[in-house]
Order: sequence, then structure tokens, then C-alpha cells
Amino acid sequence: MWGKGLITGMKVTWGHWFGKKETVYYPEEKLPMTERFRGGHLAFDEEKCIGCKLCAIGCPNAALDLTVSVDENKKRHMESYVHQIGRCMYCDLCIEACPTKAITWDKNYEFASYFKEDMTYDALVEARNRRGNDE
Amino acid sequence: MAQTEKYVLNMGPQHPSTHGVLQVQVELDGENIVGAKPVMGYLHRGIEKLMESRTYVQCVPFTDRLDYVSAMNNNLGFCMAVEKLAGIEVPERAEYIRVICAELNRIASHHVFIGSLTNDLGSATGMIYAFRDREKILDLFNIICGARMTAHYIRIGGVAADAQDEFLRDTQKFIDYVPEMLDEYNKLFSGNEIFQARMKKTSIITKEMALKFGMSGPNIRASGVDYDIRKIDKYGAYGKFDFEVPLGKRGDNWDRYMIRMKEIAESAKIIQQALDNMPEGPYMAKVPKVLRPPKGDAYHRVENTRGELGFYIVSDGSTKPYRVHIRRPSFVNLQALDTMCKGMLLADAVTAFATIDPLMGEVDC
Repeated sequence: MWGKGLITGMKVTWGHWFGKKETVYYPEEKLPMTERFRGGHLAFDEEKCIGCKLCAIGCPNAALDLTVSVDENKKRHMESYVHQIGRCMYCDLCIEACPTKAITWDKNYEFASYFKEDMTYDALVEARNRRGNDE
Repeated sequence: MAQTEKYVLNMGPQHPSTHGVLQVQVELDGENIVGAKPVMGYLHRGIEKLMESRTYVQCVPFTDRLDYVSAMNNNLGFCMAVEKLAGIEVPERAEYIRVICAELNRIASHHVFIGSLTNDLGSATGMIYAFRDREKILDLFNIICGARMTAHYIRIGGVAADAQDEFLRDTQKFIDYVPEMLDEYNKLFSGNEIFQARMKKTSIITKEMALKFGMSGPNIRASGVDYDIRKIDKYGAYGKFDFEVPLGKRGDNWDRYMIRMKEIAESAKIIQQALDNMPEGPYMAKVPKVLRPPKGDAYHRVENTRGELGFYIVSDGSTKPYRVHIRRPSFVNLQALDTMCKGMLLADAVTAFATIDPLMGEVDC
């Protein structure tokens, strides 16, 4: 009978009228990010970093711009750790390259910006600010 | 007497049903299509050239951006080509995880096909159902590699990280859901009379034509040609699994749709076998930190969701590839568009385009 398929289809959609919702009310309700989630800014740990620059070498798109200084004891210090989000493709190669696990993703996915300048930030400054707030 | 003449209508590159930035110059005689000429290049990023200035390991995330709805299959193709070149042996567990991920991604990609096809045929509801189920797979990818679409999970020598119990458990849950899901789709669209009327006996590609165009993937199998690289080459762990290759008869839009529905069931069968026989062991081979494959070249092809995806890599013995060429299935399949559209009505051009299922990221590369 012509139209039988249409009615069967309608039955399926009606069946979902009373059922569990598949969506969440986004700004009020947020889904938790997984353990391996790649995204957001880089959370930098100044104490762990040895200034080897392996992260910047591993980056396919040169998204990391690092300045390293050497003190009188020949110890390397990070002066700035600039991450350009616009160039980053979140491939995780920098984090995997780090021998001391000094960088991780901060898993904040709400970092859309109106201006290009806001897509560049210094992870070192952010880490210091975060520590200042904690203390 | 009224005078008529042919005219050219530009469909795209911003047309909502061209699935990306493809322009089709449709030559019309009234409402009948005389010719359809695809104009490409709007999404060209020069990935082949970019790869020449990256190391082999750095090239892998670029392959995600080729066919961005089945990134795992692209990773697999490139990594296997480099492994062939450098002679790297992949651990068995990694092979199994690769198969699970590649097949999950095939299902997710077919979801996009079903969703966009039904949307193009005027049923926006259908799209929501397909994308709801695709979301389940993307969540699985989020668990295993931390990204939903641009996975970058399959690496040279294995996979990036071991599959957790959570991932395996949730994959099993999804596989158990697949028959129910297909049943719902069949009730929603396959049995729908309007859907059938639009799909059956339209845009026919015969066996000879399909072979002549060099088509591959579900499109050629819909025309009745038994050509599945998973069966022919048995690359990776595919030789160990028992699955069938669904074939079509007429090569019309309906066959191309049904092939994909059947392939979802077959993929689920492969994943189930891989989950049951998952071996223990390392997930990554011993790959040197600085990879320098010997001088020479290698070609490796895999069965991507859309057909035969091949990577040809020439090495000059340095850390970077000398030349990479990618054989993209969508690009080749798209050549059939003109033949498929000829003699059809304008509304059928949208259906023909949707059933070839090209992805512009891959066509333009």
C-alpha cells in the first residue's frame, strides 16, 4: 500500500516524543572533557621546564615561539613561551615531545575571540598569574 | 513561436547541498540537465607540498585534514606507506586497535552520507537521526585520542596511546546498538515511498562506465564490481576477519545508498571480531626518534570510506619526504558527475551529487 512507509516513519519520530533528551542546555550545562582531550591553552609548569625547546622543534606549524636565557651556572630559563593558537592544529606533538611533562592542555574549550591578537598568548605569564591567584 | 535556449546555472560554491565548496556549472535545457561540470580548487591547501617541508612524523596530522570525516583511515594510509618505506613492523595489538578505529570511522562517515543525503532529499529529520548516532562514535574517539574529528591517533609504528577499558566497553555498547540503529533508519527512510521514488532508477552508472571512470569504493561496488582493497590486499589485520563485500546490481542512487547501509553492518561485524580477539602486548613499535627511511619509494593503498586512498612517497634518505602524492578517491569519483546528471532533472543533480559522496577537503587536497 502506498503511504505505509510514510506512516511507519512517522511512528518512529512520534516514539521519540517521550524519551531521553540527547542534547544538553549548553551554557548552563557543560559536558565534562575526557582525560586525553586536546584543546585550549597550554598549561605551563615553570619548575619542570628545562628549556630544551623540543616542543618547538616538534611542532609542524611553528606555533610555539620560545625565548630561552642561560644564567651564569649554565642553567636554562624560559623567558617567554608564546603560543599562537591560530597556527596550532592541536596535534599533541609538543606535549608528547616534552621529556619532563612540563606542558599539558588546560582543557578549556571556550577561547573563541573577536580579534587576531587575542589568539596569541604567553603561557609563562598565564602560569605565573595562575600561581599568583592561588597564593 | 517561443524561442528556447540552453543556459548555465552555477550551483555552489556556497550552495547548502554541495557539502563543501564545490561549484557545479549545470547546463540546463528547461529543467533537464544537458551537462554538469564540477569546478574544483576552492579548498586547495597544498597538503602534498606542505608535507615536503615536514618530517614524516609531522606529516601525519595533515592527513587528518584530507578527508576530514574519516581521518583515521587517512592516518592509516599514510602511516602504512611510511612503514613500508622504512620497514617498520607493527605490533599485533596496534593492528587490531587500528582496525577498530578505521571501521568506526567508516560507520561515522556513512552516517554523514545518510544524513546529508536525506537532508538533500528534503528530510531534515533524517539528518538529525544520523548525526545523533555519529556523535556516539565521535565521543568514542574523544575518549581514545582526545579529538573528535582530526584524530591524529594512528601513528607511524602503531597508535598514539593504548585503548583503555572504557573505550573498549563503550565500543561494545555501540556495536550492540548498531542493529537497532539500522532498523530505525530502515523504518524512517528506506521504506519511505517518496525516498524510494527519488532514488530508484536515477543516475545509473553501469559496470563498464564505473570501470572506465576508475571509480572505487562503495560507488563502484554499487555498480556490481567486486573491488574492495580490504579483501584484495588484506593489509594490516584485515586478513584475519571474516566479512562480506556487499554488491549492488543496477548502479543507481538506491544501490549506492543500500551499499552503505549494508557496509555499516559489515563494519560492525569486523569490530566485533576485533574486540573479541584483541591480543595483549605493546601498542607501538620501536621507531627511531629521528626517522630516516632509506632512499627509494613506496606506494600503499587502503580502502578509505570513499574508495581507494593511496599514498606515494619518495624518500631521498633525509628526515623529510622528497615528494608525496595522494591518490584521492573523491577526486576520481567526482568525474562521473557529468554522466550521472545527463538527462536527469535539476533536482536529481543534488541526489546524484550526494550519492557520489565526495568530500572537498580530499578533492582539492
